[in-house]
Amino acid sequence: MKTNSEAAGDSRAVLDRAALAGIREAVRPVIEGRLAARRGAEPVRREVLVCHGGSCVSCHAVPVADVMERVIGERGLADRARVVRVGCMGLCDAGPLVLVVPDGVYYPRVNESLARRIVEEHLGAGTVLDEAELTWEGPGGEVLRSREVPFFARQLKIALRNCGVIDPGSLEEYVAADGYRALEKVLFEMEPGAVLDELKRSGLRGRGGAGFPAGLKWQFVRDARGDVRYVVCNADEGDPGAFMDRSILEGDPFSVIEAMTIAGRVIGSNQGYVYVRAEYPLAIERLGAALDRARQAGLLGCDILGSGFDFDVEIRIGAGAFVCGEETALMHSIEGKRGMPRPRPPFPAQKGLWNRPTLLNNVETWANVPPILLRGAEWYAAIGTARSKGTKVFALAGAVRNTGLVEVPMGISLREVVEELGGGIRSGLPFKAAQSGGPSGGCVPASAADVPVDYESLQELGAIMGSGGLIVMDEGTCMVELARFFMEFIVDESCGKCPPCRIGNRVMLNVLERITRGEGREEDLDLLERLGDHIRTSSLCGLGQTGPNPVLSTLRHFRQEYEVHVRERRCPAGQCRALLTYTIVEELCNGCHACTKACPAGAIAGELKHVHRIDQDVCIHCGACLNACPTGAIEAR
Amino acid sequence: MSTVSSELSEQGERAFFGACVQGGGEPIDPEAYRIVDRWIERNPGGRERLIPLLHAVQEHLGYLPFPVQEYVAERLGLSPIEVYGVVSFYHFFTTTPRGRYQLKVCMGTACFVNNAQTICDVVGDLLGIGVGEVTEDRLFSLEQVRCIGACGLAPAMMVNDEVHGHLTPNAIRKLVRRLKAAARKEREARKGEADGENEQ
Repeated sequence: MKTNSEAAGDSRAVLDRAALAGIREAVRPVIEGRLAARRGAEPVRREVLVCHGGSCVSCHAVPVADVMERVIGERGLADRARVVRVGCMGLCDAGPLVLVVPDGVYYPRVNESLARRIVEEHLGAGTVLDEAELTWEGPGGEVLRSREVPFFARQLKIALRNCGVIDPGSLEEYVAADGYRALEKVLFEMEPGAVLDELKRSGLRGRGGAGFPAGLKWQFVRDARGDVRYVVCNADEGDPGAFMDRSILEGDPFSVIEAMTIAGRVIGSNQGYVYVRAEYPLAIERLGAALDRARQAGLLGCDILGSGFDFDVEIRIGAGAFVCGEETALMHSIEGKRGMPRPRPPFPAQKGLWNRPTLLNNVETWANVPPILLRGAEWYAAIGTARSKGTKVFALAGAVRNTGLVEVPMGISLREVVEELGGGIRSGLPFKAAQSGGPSGGCVPASAADVPVDYESLQELGAIMGSGGLIVMDEGTCMVELARFFMEFIVDESCGKCPPCRIGNRVMLNVLERITRGEGREEDLDLLERLGDHIRTSSLCGLGQTGPNPVLSTLRHFRQEYEVHVRERRCPAGQCRALLTYTIVEELCNGCHACTKACPAGAIAGELKHVHRIDQDVCIHCGACLNACPTGAIEAR
Repeated sequence: MSTVSSELSEQGERAFFGACVQGGGEPIDPEAYRIVDRWIERNPGGRERLIPLLHAVQEHLGYLPFPVQEYVAERLGLSPIEVYGVVSFYHFFTTTPRGRYQLKVCMGTACFVNNAQTICDVVGDLLGIGVGEVTEDRLFSLEQVRCIGACGLAPAMMVNDEVHGHLTPNAIRKLVRRLKAAARKEREARKGEADGENEQ
């Protein structure tokens, strides 16, 4: 079987429109075949798509793919089957995940010996390995297989359309999957005004958090006075718990490059920057390779596709500062300065990078642009709710069974996301709450999980859409401790420029620490609320203005839990160490002395190979014994 | 007025950096300066080059010693305090050497609700160091990082550039044992090489 670049002819040449059409014709059937796997189809030739998203790579997806390639060679199956290393398929929990197309059979947690069997039995003999296939128990107890599994069946992929389908390193595959058709349309068929109009009518809103209408933003930059303009992609995905931007850059880097090129044409800019976190080495590597390839093919640089339009994109790597996700801070960082925000206005649309008009969108927003221009605003606007159009990618993590990335239409209920796509709670404990929007967001309690997910309804609940990180929590998570965790994050990441954020959040953290240590005071809850309100209204940038949200939203929905901490000195979820009582379970203790050595207070006594005992009067509730015990004999309540 | 204050601040800077350098006392690989020179030659431009340049230096040295920061400032036409301001602002940059194995425990939300604090405590206890410290033999350093985006694998930790997920205290004990063994082997191999050369 030829590789796709061979099928498309000389892969090193500069491409014109005819060449793009040629690639589409040659490679399109391959991509169609992969997409057909979502419906199921009769196989003639098979491909094995091995997920090479960051998460699967750290579960050893690379050696799995290597083994498959080797065995295909050994068994002489090269003309019937082939391995493709694709981007993130979404179900990180099942990594390394493998999909055989066009049959549409998923194999989860593939190791090297299973990889060998998949090649020999499925690719070679055509027999599906039933016992290794991904299955799920349906609502009526029936067994659902592979693509019927709700995690996949319930999704609608627009931003993630190519992730897990194409090889992120192959321009040919991207082109065959309708890549660069939107750019061609913008360069040769549409007026910039018509592009803006299309974007505005689509109702696309910024996916980075604030949800500002994308079309309007583009318009502002186009209308701003100045001769030099910049296009920036915000890939400083700092919200802990969100990883959709990383997955898009790793799985479909060309779509971001194409969208930025389109924007360059529309707003009149010749230079773009992608600001990526240093914590994402794989995304940086793949984006860099895609930029090189696009330049080489003439899809970046001078006179793109013979249109006379010049555009190029450079990568800027962050250096670990959460606040750099804020747009003015991000631009300072690109300029080589400390990433401190500045007051707005002037907005970046007027004065951005080096004081020039600058268009800033986040990765997911960019990835939505080409399909909208290709399929039309009406198609996009038909998806979603009245004021939130299209789809949203959520990163499901925490206590949920299926951790990973899902893309769902706006307006779906949180409960559907958590219980159907997410598969419910792993531990079997009741679903308690979902935290949306990271340190700037808030909690949605299980009791409110039936509201449709869109920008407005989440805001009403005191949470925010944010970038789409969704941390699911069961009854084993203490909401006070969670609030303390986020406040610690904010205090750490505050740039220190404005006092409400620098000092106010610090004071809030002190109060929360006091409460989790069991030294809370009756007036503390009101103090938190009052202080939080002040900080929200008086801080300079988004970080400070939203920093108190996790505290305020947990106070609103779980006030009783705070009260138990303060009045009864008790942590109902069993997470606040200082409020727990530690005992040794006799049946599990093997008398190894690990805990006696670890205890800083000398509170544990017992002879070697005999059951140990903790003296509760001496115990300082530090939990060191809990960590040290190799047999799990320490019980904390 | 302005000259006086600028002189004062310059003196202040020198005193500050002087103190830092004495405090460090670490001999600096002269290659560091050549890296700066070569990088600047290859990448023409202005101050926006500062952060990429610091990345390049830290990638080679593992940290950013003050004399090298001063040199970077001189080459880019900035004052040392501007460079130090940037270095101290960003978590990624460090002014102290790190270990051969840099353990970065993820403290993102997903890891946090999956008991990342316990994981971090166990690692620290095993190595006998706290967060931000390095073992005496320079083998291990321990840091906490914000979300590494491996939320599906929580709790997770990076060892240099490699992600380890679904950690438990026992898995960490095994991992640390393995790393120690690997380091021992490496040291012996190096020693063997050196001995071999000496014999010749």
